Order: sequence, then structure tokens, then C-alpha cells
Amino acid sequence: MMKKLIIVGSGIAGLTCAVECAAQGGSVVLVSPYVSERSQSVMAAGGINAALDTKGENDSILCHIEDTMRGGAYIADRKAVEGMCTAAPEIIKWLESLGTVFTRDEKGNIDLRAFGGQTHRRTAYAGASTGKQIVTALVRKVREYECRGLISRRLGMQFHSALINDGKCYGALFYNEKEYKTEALYADAVIMAVGGQNGLFGKTTGSLLCDGYAAGKLFYQGANLKNLEFIQYHPTTIETPQKRMLISEAARGEGGRLYYLNGDKRVYFMEEKYGERGNLMSRDIVSKCIYDAPSQVFLDISFLGKEKIKHKLNEVSDICDRYAGIDVLRESIPVYPSVHFFMGGLSVDRNHRTNIKHLYAVGECASMYHGANRLGGNSLLAAIYSGKSAALSAVNEPYEDRKPNFGTYISENERKISKTLSAESKFPAIYIKQELANIMNENLGITRTGDKIKKGIENIDYFLSISDRLNFDSSISPYQCYSLEGMIMLAKAVLMCAGERKETRGAHIRDDYPESRKELECSTVISYDEGNYKISFKEEV
Amino acid sequence: MVVKIKRQKNRDSKAYWQYFEYSGDVNTTVAAVLDFLNYSDDLYDIDGNYAPRIRWECSCLQKVCGACAMVINGKPSLACNTFLDKMKGKELVLEPLSKFPVVADLITDRSIIDNNLRQVQLYIGERDENDGGLYELQYTAAKCLKCGLCLEICPNYIKGDNFFGALFANDTFLTHSLSKNRKKELKREYTKHFSSGCSKALSCESICPTGISTLSSIFSMEHSKRK
Ligand SMILES: Cc1cc2nc3c(=O)[nH]c(=O)nc-3n(C[C@H](O)[C@H](O)[C@H](O)COP(=O)(O)OP(=O)(O)OC[C@H]3O[C@@H](n4cnc5c(N)ncnc54)[C@H](O)[C@@H]3O)c2cc1C
Ligand code: FES
Repeated sequence: MMKKLIIVGSGIAGLTCAVECAAQGGSVVLVSPYVSERSQSVMAAGGINAALDTKGENDSILCHIEDTMRGGAYIADRKAVEGMCTAAPEIIKWLESLGTVFTRDEKGNIDLRAFGGQTHRRTAYAGASTGKQIVTALVRKVREYECRGLISRRLGMQFHSALINDGKCYGALFYNEKEYKTEALYADAVIMAVGGQNGLFGKTTGSLLCDGYAAGKLFYQGANLKNLEFIQYHPTTIETPQKRMLISEAARGEGGRLYYLNGDKRVYFMEEKYGERGNLMSRDIVSKCIYDAPSQVFLDISFLGKEKIKHKLNEVSDICDRYAGIDVLRESIPVYPSVHFFMGGLSVDRNHRTNIKHLYAVGECASMYHGANRLGGNSLLAAIYSGKSAALSAVNEPYEDRKPNFGTYISENERKISKTLSAESKFPAIYIKQELANIMNENLGITRTGDKIKKGIENIDYFLSISDRLNFDSSISPYQCYSLEGMIMLAKAVLMCAGERKETRGAHIRDDYPESRKELECSTVISYDEGNYKISFKEEV
Repeated sequence: MVVKIKRQKNRDSKAYWQYFEYSGDVNTTVAAVLDFLNYSDDLYDIDGNYAPRIRWECSCLQKVCGACAMVINGKPSLACNTFLDKMKGKELVLEPLSKFPVVADLITDRSIIDNNLRQVQLYIGERDENDGGLYELQYTAAKCLKCGLCLEICPNYIKGDNFFGALFANDTFLTHSLSKNRKKELKREYTKHFSSGCSKALSCESICPTGISTLSSIFSMEHSKRK
């Protein structure tokens, strides 16, 4: 019998997984609130890593593996990283076969650029919109399978919870925004591809659709989470009236230089400290150095010239011009680190299975390849590789015949949601989410201390203690209301993991524990059981 | 500044206008104005009456996802890419796109875009390795946000009609140029759903937030016809 799979989220990970499931003969329902064009994946500008070695620099898969392991401070699962880096060149070929138009060099080879923390030029890119170009190609491939009846897309659907019985997942419950009602979907397996946890920090460099709710809810339902304390601050973002926007690492990859002013004199502090490649150290290091700099840090790309900027960094100059009024040909860009990527997420094995049977997680919502710090260009790769790995496993696994009855569970939750819809209260969930973001930004910054983390947990506990008694504002989407509790739980789990890791490693920098500890060269796993948060450290084997 | 917003609770309810006072910075975008209003403790209209929060769609806040498409002072625009200080007049008028059904306030259901592309089976099949020197055009066409602004402004696009508009023409050009074995079918659909209905008003060109040249797509498709 044909396996039926539900994939939640249609960014690059969800799209890839759908294509691969269909290619393996599975029947897929691809569910998301909006079309893929709205997903965060379209924002990725810089590129995707693969040791293609088109630059004659003797790059190799081995070097890619070593760079990824070192960048992640040696806590990622080496075998999983080996699998991903080995598959990378084939993945680029596959994307090309789907019609992704990668930028080519003068010899006609796929061009590669330098990215942070990498020993060789290894980042393939498609102009200044790599993620968008890949999404366009994948959407088209998904459409082909839709026409052939193997994939069906459901839009307007927000995840509510998984349908779990006795440690096994049988489907998921959604809120249908177009029909204004809940809807349960059943399948042999559910694959989560819901992206990162941006929402915990309010507005980040990424998409507002990635709020972390699904991970928080699944945690509540028994799924383990991993390495939550590792949150990447991207070193170079600029302030705009809307949010802090990313200045892609490509700007430094193409030669951009960081400096601060000492009087009139420019101090190229990264080069002084780390030599020629100083501007391209891994992100955790660059962010910390900018944070420690005595005055405002600037990024200079003006000397790269009009042509290079137009062809390779158009997106950077456009953002600066449009949203910050900066002409990058004449002025340097004032930059500061900001929350950007989540190395942690749902804990999965190498086949991307969570600890709940038949529940998978792929892409940024899963934690696997990046250890304590992700290398730029590795997350698009991980999104694709994880999507493919999960598909292979999900389509070929044996499944249960029996389907438990979820009727009571569903009607109970329907009742709760309709209560929100008819609520008279003006209490805005939006407002509490803003408070949550303030707590996280205040207590879990680039550098952390035990005291601050403790304070953060106390503040979160207050909101947790009242969250089930709140009667929300019915004028916003019920999703905005019910998602609050899952997000708060996730926030608490993040803070607890950060408190428990009493060392400095990768993106987790503790002022009170500035050294790394050999015995903590392992992952943090947190689980939830009837009100108790349990943390353990686990070495990848 | 007065902000006038066309409101609608849900698909079936009646639309009405509501006025708000915006007292924040003018050196900002329409998206930031909506956030400013929504992130207040309570929301009141200009007469001091309690107002439900304003619903609108957004994701990237940097004009790459197409979520925030709406009609701003009569012009189809992206809220996150429209600056207050560049607008003339003291009033800001926000309406949902008129060619798609309203879900709530400024949110519309644009799924017809996807449905149309599926209906005509817009996919490559086997990829043609030779890009025919069209790299730049392919690259730009692939940036289409599917935001619907080109359909909103097009005098020929009527919802539910047989004419699928500029975004369809551009996507068809892209798919056609990349395909080795489906060129014929794609060209047939192009004629049926685009070239027979386009009056070349080309309002779609200037409105496109990613600068896709529909004229170039038309030219390439017409040219390939004769091949
Ligand atoms: C500005 C920026 C630039 C970047 N540049 C690069 C780069 O150059 N190279 C690189 O490798 N990485 C880059 N990244 C990181 C990379 O973009 C992401 O890690 C990657 O795109 C994640 O893909 P995904 O498919 O896992 O998630 P996403 O693309 O975030 O997709 C998540 C999907 O889940 C859906 N979803 C979310 N919540 C729910 C819910 N409750 N119910 C239903 N659906 C839900 C969303 O709507 C969406 O469809 C960048 C990130 C940002 C923010
Ligand atoms: S929010 Fe993405 S284009 Fe405006």
C-alpha cells in the first residue's frame, strides 16, 4: 500500500522532503499556512556549501567535514555531518537539474565564494538570491508531482498539535485559517519542517512565520529537544525602521573588511587578531569580537567597486540604500550582531526520526549538523539533505494498521479554540509575545551569565503560570492566541539548557564560565514530563 | 497622520472603513505603521472607540516574500517597501487587494495564483542544459514573489477568468526556456491563457517589486514561436 505522509511547512526542507517522498512512491500532503514563496528560505542570499573544488584549491569532502565539525565546536554528530558533506556535490547537481540557475565563473563552472569558517572557497550561489532561486525550482518540481497526483498542497493551515497515542504519531491537528475551523489529518508519518524559533526573540533577521510554536508544542507532547542554548548571532546586521536586516556574509566573502575607528584611524581588528582571513572567522567568533569592540563597528565594501557589487552583492547594496539610506559605494555600513539562526531544535536520529515514533523533523526545526555554531551556507544544505534523508526513511518504514480514536482530543481542542474566537477580552497575545521577546533578548544575549538566565526563567515562569487562564483578544487569528503557550514553554526550555551548560562553547558564551570543558563536548537534550523539565548531556556515537 | 483602513472581519462579513491616528516616525514604512498600531496595549480608532487589531500578512519585512501586498493610497504595493516620507498627502489609505477574496482585513486569499499554474501543468520535465544565453532573464523571472501586484493592476485580469496575467507569462517563459521536452505544451498554454488576452498595457512592468520585465518574457516566447 502507498505510504501517506504529512509534511508540515513548505520551505526548502519541506519542499525537498515532499519531492523525495513522491519520488520514492509515497503520497504526500504538504501543509503550510502560506505558499512557499513566503517561507524564510527565500531570504537566504549567500549560498550553499559543497566541495565542488572548481577553483583548483584542492578542496575535498574531508575538508568540508572538518570545517563543519570545527565550526560546530565538535559536538555535532560526525557520521551525520559526513553523510551531509558527502552528498553535497550531488545535491548541487540535483538542484541544477531542477532548473536552479547557479552563477557560473568565466570558465563556465559553478562559481564558488569564500564563506566564514571555511578553509576553501566552497559556497555555490545563484546571484544574490540563492534561497529564492532554489525555492522557485523546488516549487515547480512539487507542482509536477501535484499534477501527477502524488503530492497535494494544503494552504491556510496552521499546525495545532500532533495526534499522538502511546508514543506513536498518527497525524496532526491544524487550524484552517480559510475555513475558520480545526481540521485533523491522518497519515502513516508526520514530518515537521517548520523552520527556526525566531519568534522567541521577536523580530530577528528572519521570517516572522518561524515562531517556534510547533517545537514548543511537540515538546509538551513528549518530543525531546536538543542543543537549544546554541543560538547564532549573525555578526553583520543593520538597523532599519522595520527590523535588523542581515548583511550577508557574502559581503565579507567577496572581500569586505570590518573595522572600528580609533580617533580618525581605522582599526581592522579582525585582521589584526586573526590575520588575513580574520574577517571570515566563524560567526560566533566575529560576533563576539564586534560585541567587545570599543566603538561602533563598520563594514567596508566600497573598494570592491561598482561592477562587483552590482553582480555579486546587489542585495546588500539594495538593502542598505533602501532601508538605511546608505550608499555602499561611498560609505561603510554600521553593523552589529543580531539573532539569526537556531542550531538547536527537535532532537532527531540520523534518519531524522524524533523520539516519538513516526514523527520526523527536518530543516532548521531539527537539530543535527551544526553543533554549537553553524557555518554559513551549511543550513540550506542541511535543509535539503535532511529532507531527503527523512523521506527515504519515512516512505520505507513499516507502519501500524490500527488507528486510535482521537475524537475526544480533537473536540476538546476545538472547544478551546472556539472559546478564543468568542472571547470578549481585549488581552492581546501579541503584547505578551512582545514581552517574551524582551525577556529573551534581555537575558540570553551574545554573552550570558547564570544570574541573568535565572532571572529570565523567573519571568517566563510568571507568564507560564497565567497562560492557561488568559482570555485572548478574539480579533486576531486563534493561532496567534493558542501558539503563545507553546512558545513560552520553548523559551523556558531554551533558558534552562543555557543555564545547565556551564561552559563557553561556540555560540554559547558564558561570562561566568569562559572556558570550554572537555566533559561537556556533547549535546544537551531536554525532555518534558508532566510539568518537569529534564536535561541530560549526550555524546553522539 | 490619519490612517484610513478598509476592514472586514471575515470572508462573509461586510467591509467598513476605520480611521486611526498615527503619531510615530514618518521616516518609516507602511509595514512599520501597522506594527506600531497593533503593538499598542489597546487599539482605538480616531474617535476613541475600541478597534479590533488590524490583520495583515507579513513574513520577511524586506520585500522578498510578497506576503504584504495590498493597495496603498490607490496603488498596489508591498507594505514593507512603501515609505511614508515618499508619499504625498496627509492621509494613508490601506485596502486589501481587490482581485482576490478577503480573508480578514488586509489579508486576501491568493491561492488562485497557484491553482492556475497547476491547472496548466507548469513544470519543466527534462531540463534543457543549454540556457540559450537567457541566464539574466531566467534569474530575474525566478525571483517572482507571486505577490499578485501585477494581477491587481492589470486591466485585463479579472478574477476567475481565462486570462492568467503577467506572473503566469513570466513563469511560463522561465519554465519553457528550461525545459527540453515540454516546450510545445507550455507554448500552447501560454497562447491560451496569456497572449490572446494581453493588450500590452504593461502596467505590470512598473509595479513589479523585483523588476521582472514581462515584455522580455513576451518577446522570448513570441520569438520561440517562430523557431
Ligand atoms: C536573512 C537570512 C539569510 C540566510 N542566508 C543563508 C545562506 O546564504 N545560506 C544558508 O545556508 N542559510 C541561510 N540562512 C538560513 C536558511 O535560510 C534557513 O535555515 C533555511 O531556509 C531553513 O529552511 P526550512 O525549510 O527549514 O524552514 P523555512 O524556510 O523557515 O520554512 C518553514 C516553513 O514552515 C511553515 N511553518 C512555520 N510554522 C508553522 C506552523 N505553526 N504551522 C504550519 N506551518 C508552519 C512556514 O510557513 C514555512 O513554510 C539565512 C537565513 C536568513 C534569515
Ligand atoms: S513582508 Fe515580505 S514582502 Fe513585505
